[in-house]
Parts: sequence; structure tokens; C-alpha cells
Amino acid sequence: MDAPVLRIENLSKTYEDGTQALVDVSFEIRKGEFLVIIGLSGSGKSTLLRCINRLVEPTSGHIWFDGIDIAQVKGTKLRSTRRQIGMIFQQFNLVKRSKVITNVISGRLGYLNPLWSVVGYVPPQVRQDAFQALQQVGIAEKAQNRADALSGGQQQRVGIARALMQKPKIILADEPVASLDPVLAYSILDYLEKLNREHGMTVLCSLHYLDLVQRYADRVIGLRDGKIVYEGSKADIQNITDTQFRQIYGEEAQRLGGGLTGGLQKG
Amino acid sequence: MKPPRSLLSLPPILNAFVSLIPGLGQLLRGYITRAILIFSFVASLYGLVLWRLDDAKIAVTVLPPSIDTADLSRPQETTLTYAVVAIIFAVLGHLWGIFDAYVCAGHKPSPPRLGMTFLIIGTLVVGSDITEINIAKAVREIDDIVPRLSQILWPWNPEKILYRDKENFDGVALWETPCQEDGPVEQPEPVEGQPYLEIAPDCGDPSGGRLPNGRRREGTEVTLKGYNYRPNEQAELIINPASIPEFRVVVDGERVRVTPDDNGQFELSFVMPNFTIPSTTVGAVPVRIIVRQQKEIGSPKLVKEFWLSLEAIIETIFLALMATAFGLILAVPMSFVAARNLMATNIITLTIYYLVRLFMNVVRSIEPLIWALIAIVWVGPGPFAGVIALTIHTIAALGKLYSESIESIDDGPIEAIQATGADRLQTIMYAVVPQVVPPFVSFTIYRWDINVRMSTIIGAVGGGGIGAILVQWIRIGDYDSVGIAVWMIAIVVTILDYASARIRERYV
Ligand SMILES: Nc1ncnc2c1ncn2[C@@H]1O[C@H](COP(=O)(O)OP(=O)(O)OP(=O)(O)O)[C@@H](O)[C@H]1O
Ligand SMILES: [Mg+2]
Repeated sequence: MDAPVLRIENLSKTYEDGTQALVDVSFEIRKGEFLVIIGLSGSGKSTLLRCINRLVEPTSGHIWFDGIDIAQVKGTKLRSTRRQIGMIFQQFNLVKRSKVITNVISGRLGYLNPLWSVVGYVPPQVRQDAFQALQQVGIAEKAQNRADALSGGQQQRVGIARALMQKPKIILADEPVASLDPVLAYSILDYLEKLNREHGMTVLCSLHYLDLVQRYADRVIGLRDGKIVYEGSKADIQNITDTQFRQIYGEEAQRLGGGLTGGLQKG
Repeated sequence: MKPPRSLLSLPPILNAFVSLIPGLGQLLRGYITRAILIFSFVASLYGLVLWRLDDAKIAVTVLPPSIDTADLSRPQETTLTYAVVAIIFAVLGHLWGIFDAYVCAGHKPSPPRLGMTFLIIGTLVVGSDITEINIAKAVREIDDIVPRLSQILWPWNPEKILYRDKENFDGVALWETPCQEDGPVEQPEPVEGQPYLEIAPDCGDPSGGRLPNGRRREGTEVTLKGYNYRPNEQAELIINPASIPEFRVVVDGERVRVTPDDNGQFELSFVMPNFTIPSTTVGAVPVRIIVRQQKEIGSPKLVKEFWLSLEAIIETIFLALMATAFGLILAVPMSFVAARNLMATNIITLTIYYLVRLFMNVVRSIEPLIWALIAIVWVGPGPFAGVIALTIHTIAALGKLYSESIESIDDGPIEAIQATGADRLQTIMYAVVPQVVPPFVSFTIYRWDINVRMSTIIGAVGGGGIGAILVQWIRIGDYDSVGIAVWMIAIVVTILDYASARIRERYV
């Protein structure tokens, strides 16, 4: 594999209320890799992903992306960094009352002149690209619908199309399928996998269900209380031991069967 | 549940005895809420009854004996009756409190249902007296309202709302008061083709005033002979004293009318009615006595009240529109500083937030009616005053609704758009505006709707629009015109209601 796209060094985040959400986290992700973060609720998965595109301000540490440390960048530099990092959310975070196509177009805002947004002007090329992005995720016919008229799975596809409009170097996905039913979960993750395999897109994704992790991850990082407690390859995660499992999910965690509905549950 | 800790454990009988002061027994036994409830109810009920009795006494002594109390809508006996009933319930409540104190001393008492029932009934009885509730009167006088209501509900009677221009066909005689020494009053020359009158006597006194012996003065009886009228067509008697507008003569509630015979002649006697002679006049006051036949000419037209109502309702719609527009313009910026999620960043912005909120709450808590009175003092009566009053209220009301809808927007899309590298302006245009525009539009139209209805009330106190003429017509008892105005309001409100519902449907 290639050189790292992203390197996290000693990243820590302490929230205003004193919660230590990340403690001295370091890892790297190589180009074209599908890296999955696992961990209990509250272990700091969202905080980690949101520090990378600076929706959350890291307290200390470095985030090396594209040769620069983006942990402290500001202004236009921050904008141009963010636009290269696509993000997919658990709750999709679409503007529900806007059209699907408008939601997709908004992925390109980082490249457009802000003043155009006031008059609502969108260059025709951008509109065309948005349409193509929708075609790519298979819902071009919904372009003119309001976003909230779509099903959950379709909304997440719009979320992906919006991220694609950013022409990103990496996609962050924060539990992208946690609010979808299992069948849809597979179709969304299949889609991310396709992007990863066919277009070499780097994906950093947090997931909940172990069987999803085993199926899609190239590599896995386990977080617990803001610290990395596990790191393993695709092969490792297929044969994860009970000890390792407890390391990540705690002593009292129960391991359920590895079938389709199999997952993790705190006992 | 255990009974609470006693402050002082008296034996039951003694505990009941101290409860002559309502609630004391309960208090000593530690039932504090119960004690407060009993004491405040019993004490305030006794207090209210005493006050009503006192009021009744004052009212009776203040009224001069000559005035017949039957004339007053509420005889003082009513208050006395109410007070006695209230006392009975107060005493029952009080006694129950004493009994309850006895029970309290033994074990935990049951909920104070019975006692509270007595006390609440007593309070309601006093309340009926204070608010002068008189259901008997409301029922008895229901007859007064029914014909008025039917006039208001259906003013579209062709006889009432259509009219045709009328041509007068007048015969005139001159008369004067008081009688002078200088011979007969000169009468107008008869004109060919026009009716004329002969009058006798040609002078005298109007009715009214009091003679030295205290009796009412009868007016002079006057006899008119008419010639040259259109045969068999009714004519009306009209009197027009100098410097007073002419008026129709009414006797026993009926207009005085006469129908000429086949030759166009008649004879009519009547007693000169009462009219006020300006006190500045010296000598004789000339009075024109007219017997008038009228003929309708031209095609039917809508009465002028209809056109007045139409103009007024248009004024009202625009009054509401202007107030809503100004309110909108001022409320939008205000709502952003009154949105907590935008202002919670630091102590200064938070202070501004609290001040703006306070301002909006104070303004909103003052009814538009009061603002109208203030605006009338400021710019004088008229629609402009109405616009000011409604604008002030609209700013506060919309400001609050807007700011609440800003507060309730979803942060998710904002973050998502930020994450694409959009700057602040783009984020607002793509993530905030789409979320707030629909509620803004919906609230604004809703407000316009409210403003139309409010402006009818505002108009009543001088704020212009249809309310102004509506109140005027109610005062003079012109219920047909009231009906027209009410219909106009109802139609406009219904249309606006429908339209605003449709627009809101589209936007939300
Ligand atoms: N804005 C915040 N202010 C204070 N504490 C926060 C904030 N956001 C998250 N935290 C805390 O930081 C810790 C990590 O939260 P985070 O949301 O990153 O966990 P997570 O692994 O994404 O959990 P989940 O699986 O529930 O999404 C938690 O203890 C959480 O309570
Ligand atoms: Mg999370």
C-alpha cells in the first residue's frame, strides 16, 4: 500500500466539562485503505472523526494530512482542507426541506465563491456533477424531491453523493449505517466498499456490528475510553480472541453469534 | 405514609378548640399545606363577605331616598342574599376545619374534599355577587337581542340594502313661534303644477317645556289643507324650524302620514311637536311646515353603508398588511439576537439576548388595544395609529416566534455543510435559511390573519378601519349596517384563513 494519507499523532481532546474523550491517540491510514474504528458508545469514535475535519477542536496533538498539520489551521486553509475530507453521518444530516439536488450541490460549496450562495447561483457544471453523483449512488430520479421525502437508505445515498461532490481524498463515516436496517446497512457499506476498491477511495469508518467490521474492514482500531486498545488487520479481526474482545468492550461484555444479526451488546 | 411531626400535640378536643382560628389545629399537628389551605380559604371568604356587606350598606345610604331602587339593575337585597349564602358556606367550611383538626389529632386525615367543597362553593357565591352575575336577567331580556341578532346575521334584505333616488314633491307652509302682533305670516305663492298648503293658525307654541304650574305644555294644534298633490299617494309631515335640520314628525312612535283624495286634496291636524329654539334668537322663529310626497326614480343602488363598509374593510386589510410588513422587517433582525443558540457564545451576547427577550415579553404582554390608545395620543386617531399599534405588537410576537424557530433548527445539516468546506455565509444560506424560511413564512401569514382580526378591535378605539364604523353603527343602533360590516369582516377573515392555510401547507 501507499504512503499514509492521514497521520494522527498524540491526539487528545478534553471537552469543556472535563470529559477526556481522546487520550494520546496515534495511528495512520494509508491511501486506499478501509480502516474501521470500533468501540463502545462513549469511547470517543465520533470525537476522533470530528477532530479530523475540525468540527471538534482538538486539545493537543497533530493531524498530518497532505503534508501539513491541520490540527490548528484556520480560515481559508481550514476550508480548503475540509473540502478534501468528505463526511457521512449517522443521522445523514441532510437539509430536509431542500431538494435532493441542492443537498448534493452543497458538497461543492468549498470550491465556489461564497457570494454566489446569496443569489442562489450554481454554475451549470456543478449542477451536472451533482446529477452524476446522484446517478453514481443510483437515485438520480429523486433529484427534484425534497430530502425528507426519501427513505433512510436513500437519504444516506444522498449523503454519500454530497461527500463525493467534495472530490475528497478521504471519506470519514461516523456510524453510517447505525440508523438503517441490516439489509440497507449492507447496501450502503457495499457502496463504500465499491468506492474503496474501484476508485481507491480512502475510508475511515466507525462501525458497531462486528460482522460488518469483519466483512468490510482492511484494518481495525479499537477505542476504549479515548485510548487505542486494539489494532488489527483483516485477518486478525476474523479471529479476534475473547481477551482482545474484552479489552475493547470491557469485562462484562457478552459476545453474540457472528451471523447476520450478530453484534455487540453490553451484557 | 406516616403522619408528620407535630409541633405541639394537644389532645383532640383541645386541638379542635384552637381551630376556632382556622387551620391552627392542623398546623400544630404538622399538616402545614392543609393548614394554609384552610386558613386562607376561610379567612378570605369571611373577608369577602364582610366587604360585600359593607358595600351593600354604603350603596344603600349613598342613594338618595327619592330614587326608586327598583330602577337599579341590581337591588341591594341581591347582595344581602348572596352574602348570607356565602356566610353559611364559610361557617360550614370553618366547622369542618374544626372537626378536621379533631381528626388530625388522632390519625392521618383523609383528603379535605368536603371542607374544600364548602369553601369553594362559598367563594363562587361571593364571586357571582362581585361580578354581578344575573342569569335571570340574561334569560328575561333575551327577547331584546334576538331581532338585533337576526338583523346582524342577515342584512342582505333587498329592501334594506338597495335604494333608489327619490324626488321630493313638497307643499310648504310658513308658521312662527311665538305669535307676533304684526298680522298674518306671509305664505309662499302657489306655483303651477306644484302642491301648496293652507295653514291655520299660522303661529303658536311648540310642545315641551313646563308651565309655571309644573305641567307639561301642550303645543298649538295646527290644521293643514293640501291641494294639488298626486292623488292617493302617501305624504309625510316634516317640520323645519330655522337653523335646525328638518325632521319627520312622530306621534306615539308612528310617523305622521296622510293620503290625499282623488282630487289631490287632504286635511291634516296635528299638535306642534317639541323642538329646541336656539337661546340666542330674538323675536319670532320661522318654521317651515312641509308635507312631502316622494317618488323613486332611477335604478336600484346599494346603500352607502355598503360602500362605506367596503372601503373600511380594504383599509383594514391594508392596515394589517402594513403592520405585518413593518413587523416582519423589524422582527427578523431582532429574532436573530433573541435566539439562544446563536447568542450563547459569550456573556455580552447572552446579555443582549436576555434584554431583547425581556423587551419582547414586555411589549407582547401589553394588548394591541393599549398600544392603539398610546398611538392615538401620539399620531391622532386614524389608520396610521392602528398601523403603529399593530406593528409594535407584531414585532414582539413575530420576534418571539421567529427566534423560537431559529432555536429549534437542526444542527446536523449545519455541521454537515461546514464539513464540506463551506464558509459562514454559505452555511447560513444553505443550512440555516432553508430551515427557517418555511416557519417564517408561515408565522408571518398567520400574523397577518391575526392582525386583520385585531384591527377590527383597534378600529373600535380609533385606530381606523372597519372597527371604527362598526362601533359607530352599534352605538346608534343601526344593526342592518352592523350586519353588512360583520359580513365583510367574516368574508375577509374566511378568505385569509383559507389562503394562509394553503400557503402554509405549501411551505412547511
Ligand atoms: N460536546 C461535548 N461536550 C462534552 N462532552 C462530550 C461532548 N461530546 C461528546 N462528549 C463526551 O465525550 C465522550 C466521547 O463521546 P463520543 O461521542 O466521541 O463517543 P462515541 O464513541 O461516538 O459514542 P457513540 O457510539 O454513542 O456515538 C463521551 O463520554 C461523551 O459523553
Ligand atoms: Mg458517535
